[in-house]
Amino acid sequence: MTLTRRIVFGRNPRRTLVRVLVLAVISFVTFGWVLIPVRAEGISMQPTFASGSLHFVSRVAYRYRRPFRGDVIAIKLAGPHVLYVKRIIALPGERIAFIKGQVFVNGAALAEPYVRDRRLWDVPEVQLTAREYFVVGDNRGMRASDHDFGRVDVSRIIGKLLF
Amino acid sequence: MVWRGREGDDERAVGARIEALRNDINTSTSDGLGAVAHATQIGSYFTENMVIELGEGTSPIHGRDTLIGIAARLQTRTAAFRLELDDVSVEMVPGGRAADVLLTASFVRRVASTGEESRDAREFSLVCEKDAGTWRIARVTAIDTLR
Repeated sequence: MTLTRRIVFGRNPRRTLVRVLVLAVISFVTFGWVLIPVRAEGISMQPTFASGSLHFVSRVAYRYRRPFRGDVIAIKLAGPHVLYVKRIIALPGERIAFIKGQVFVNGAALAEPYVRDRRLWDVPEVQLTAREYFVVGDNRGMRASDHDFGRVDVSRIIGKLLF
Repeated sequence: MVWRGREGDDERAVGARIEALRNDINTSTSDGLGAVAHATQIGSYFTENMVIELGEGTSPIHGRDTLIGIAARLQTRTAAFRLELDDVSVEMVPGGRAADVLLTASFVRRVASTGEESRDAREFSLVCEKDAGTWRIARVTAIDTLR
């Protein structure tokens, strides 16, 4: 009994309680406001992210810098509990088009090493505003009509996927 | 709670009504008469002149009777889906007779071949109106998160 109590509560139960409380507060803040755990569902980001895989979104990644091309970001819908996860392929102010599956940004072909399989998507050129990014999933083997992609307002971006 | 005003009660009532609609949609039936009764039950959550706009490429649905007809016909297809609602926010319109609702609806389907669930999530804006003490949905508009 004494040994069990010592294992559970430690040598100094009061200090153990303080440690538990501090750990709980740190976890609450970290996983509530700094790193949000998300589970991928669906195939639109394959092969980079498999459906069912667990990832973390950094909500502070864009506090001191703007999103870069190539960043995989989390986009909120009505709130933060269901998110789109997409890759940024064009930045505010740029022009973007898909011609037979190849992405062109400001008229130049974009190298996308993360794309394995491409269908021949055609999307007419779009001019992004100063607040818009163009996002798309890595799985271009899907039909374009089955894939959610397009312009997103900067206010909807809640963070960057870390891993 | 005592300190919550009438608006808080209405917001809760709207939220409860939307939750009840979700439960009814997920309680599916596929036999003929049951399907009609089920569709009528779903229709009771909407006003008579309701409008549903699902966005580009689809025609708006006008009127509760049209919706009930569609719901009855699509029963066997919709039974394969489970509806989940997240991030439901309710904001009362001044006067208290209407409320604006924003939510994320997920249509979850189990893929028979793999056993995995596939999820199609969309954001919707709803306008609810109070009709003889009961909150009903007057307008549903799909929001294009990505345009």
